Amino acid sequence: MGFSDFHGNSHVVQRLREMLAHSRFPQAVILAGPAGSGKYTLALMLAKALNCLSPTNSDGLPDFCERCSNCVRIAQSEDLRARFDEAVEARESLRETDRKETRLFVQTHPDVLVIPPDPPQMMVKVDQVRRVIETIYYRPGDAKERVYIFTDSAFMKEAANSLLKVLEEPPEFATIFLLTENSGELLPTIRSRCMTVALAALPAEEIEKYLAKRRPDWDAKQRALVARISEGAVGRSCNFDLETYIAARSQALTILRSALRGTEHSELFKVTETFRAGAEGREKTESLLRTTYSLLQDLMFLASGTPELIRNTDIGIELRKFAESCDFAWIAFAADRLNEVERGMRRNLLRSLSIDAFATALEKSS
Amino acid sequence: MPVEAMASAVGTSTMEITVSKFELLRELTATQGVVERKTTIPILSNYLFEAAGDKLSLTATDLDLSLRTSCVAKVKKDGACTIPARKLHDYVKLLPDADITIKLLENHWVSIRCGRSNTKMVGMARSNFPSLPAFPTAGIIKIPAQVLRGMIAKTCFAIASEESRYTLNGALMVLKPESITMVATDGHRLAHIERSGEKFDGVSGEMKTLVPKKAMDELKSLLDSTDAESVDFAKDESTLYFRIGPRLMTSRQLTGQFPNYEAVLPKDNSKSITLHGEELSAAISRVAQFADERSRAVRLKLEKAELKLSASSTETGESEDSMETDYNGDALTIGFNAQYILDFLKAAGAGDVKLELKDAQSAGQLRPADSEDYKYRYIVMPMRI
Repeated sequence: MGFSDFHGNSHVVQRLREMLAHSRFPQAVILAGPAGSGKYTLALMLAKALNCLSPTNSDGLPDFCERCSNCVRIAQSEDLRARFDEAVEARESLRETDRKETRLFVQTHPDVLVIPPDPPQMMVKVDQVRRVIETIYYRPGDAKERVYIFTDSAFMKEAANSLLKVLEEPPEFATIFLLTENSGELLPTIRSRCMTVALAALPAEEIEKYLAKRRPDWDAKQRALVARISEGAVGRSCNFDLETYIAARSQALTILRSALRGTEHSELFKVTETFRAGAEGREKTESLLRTTYSLLQDLMFLASGTPELIRNTDIGIELRKFAESCDFAWIAFAADRLNEVERGMRRNLLRSLSIDAFATALEKSS
Repeated sequence: MPVEAMASAVGTSTMEITVSKFELLRELTATQGVVERKTTIPILSNYLFEAAGDKLSLTATDLDLSLRTSCVAKVKKDGACTIPARKLHDYVKLLPDADITIKLLENHWVSIRCGRSNTKMVGMARSNFPSLPAFPTAGIIKIPAQVLRGMIAKTCFAIASEESRYTLNGALMVLKPESITMVATDGHRLAHIERSGEKFDGVSGEMKTLVPKKAMDELKSLLDSTDAESVDFAKDESTLYFRIGPRLMTSRQLTGQFPNYEAVLPKDNSKSITLHGEELSAAISRVAQFADERSRAVRLKLEKAELKLSASSTETGESEDSMETDYNGDALTIGFNAQYILDFLKAAGAGDVKLELKDAQSAGQLRPADSEDYKYRYIVMPMRI
């Protein structure tokens, strides 16, 4: 129970708890780490520890009880997906005019507000930040500390700007958490006002061990694969959607194949056509980019003679064939171009065209 | 779910009451303002109904502000339930004037029967409803209801709505053993009202409270619809409590230091004119039609026995009005935001007002010419014109 439930990054957790012990917890914290590394879990644990009514100690550091009314109510936010869906549903049932002006929040405890990105754009909007500003100066009622958790760093521009003032001088009883996969995505002015805490990736062996306990229903081979491709993120590994991953990867493979083999493009276009606009297309594109990176990494491991490091162990043979026909310079070039595609996505370039351009640029001039 | 909550959920799984439509609707209407319309936290759009003895209590909250009220009811079975607030209010409004029977069914369904009408709505578990702070037993201060109502009406319009200046998003209430003062400002204007000659038991020295704007608005509408003589006020570390008859409003406290307003109250505004409030209001409204849309600046020109008001903008043209006055000092020209003056004139009501000025760069002061029991003054910063 308590912080001991948090898997990995024990030194980071310990450092944060030491700050709690000395009542020197920062007022604004950026928790950075890959998807599934436990940012949200950790933020909620800290919210509980800040507000626990019968705080306990473990290893000489503050912990929380999980039983008091504050802990229990905060814990109801744990299943973010479910709470988020409830909030979306609640909004759907509002009157048309109210619906437009309503923003999503998750609040299972009066003093702990979780701010998820607002659909359909899946961005944090200015009205959400306004709500934070309006409420943050009220004294906490049931808790000691008002806690605000932004679960994603995709801020609309005005939203990010309006957050600056409150980040700079929050009231003494409030703590703001900003969760992000990439802290570089946040404004430099936001970053400079917060303390950044990074959650690092865990070694594959550690995740494999963890999975052995948590997912006995998977066979050892599957566990080994998931442990590698989940990129060191515990939370991600434990609910890893292998099917979606393999679907994205086969698309990434098609792109690489068309680049390396120089076959005709009809197959490529069939794939890229499916990347449409909207939030769904964005998610799909992101997972394609991520899997393409992981494939390129594997190719590099093979090309530089460290085949034991590859992640996509299940398609080792095919990767080896690829590796024979590419060299380090090509891989570096491809990674560069991929980076450009990613940057283009942030500027809202047309997805299918960007990926087409990426694939054709990689073709070997033979 | 913790054990206690489970026990109470089991214990409150019944409820059956009969209440008159008139009584219920009155309380529902009084509490509507607190129910959040635009919320994605479902429980906040529900009322909590609790029945015990011969009383039905209703609670609504938006977490910062909550309101609890009660009405007489025939309670067949004690218990509690939650009901979607807007729908209930809309529905009860349409019912005939008769007795309404409300009964809790399984799975949080609630049946509402009245005459030949029969409706079922689904609420949520009572344990989901946020708990409310209890009214303190000590340190209660009685404030005359009509005094408080008047003071709120005369200051609340000056509260800032700007989000960046959070300590101005409320009014300051200062209680002393024999007087009550309320101050509100947005940084450009300040409304200050004081009433002495009251007696506040339990106040020693000076007791300062920052009342949030939302609480002020809600309090005002509660006071508008009550015949209670006094308001019970109390506060603890985090919460303010106002009890008006059977209704209890609680608000969380705002943090922060209200600015030192005493320093800006003008002391030597020697140029004073008395004007008829309604005439001044009419003149300013007319002239302001031609003021710059953003700044709303009007020019006040004080001359012997005359006050000239004018405004001009490049787009709409220019306009001038003049009024007779008893003024015989030096000439002076000063600019003010028309809206700020109009707000005051509206709050001050009929009667003459005094405008007191020093020079074109100093704040002007407005006050009713014949303020009997109240010391009411309004300070407006001038504009460069």
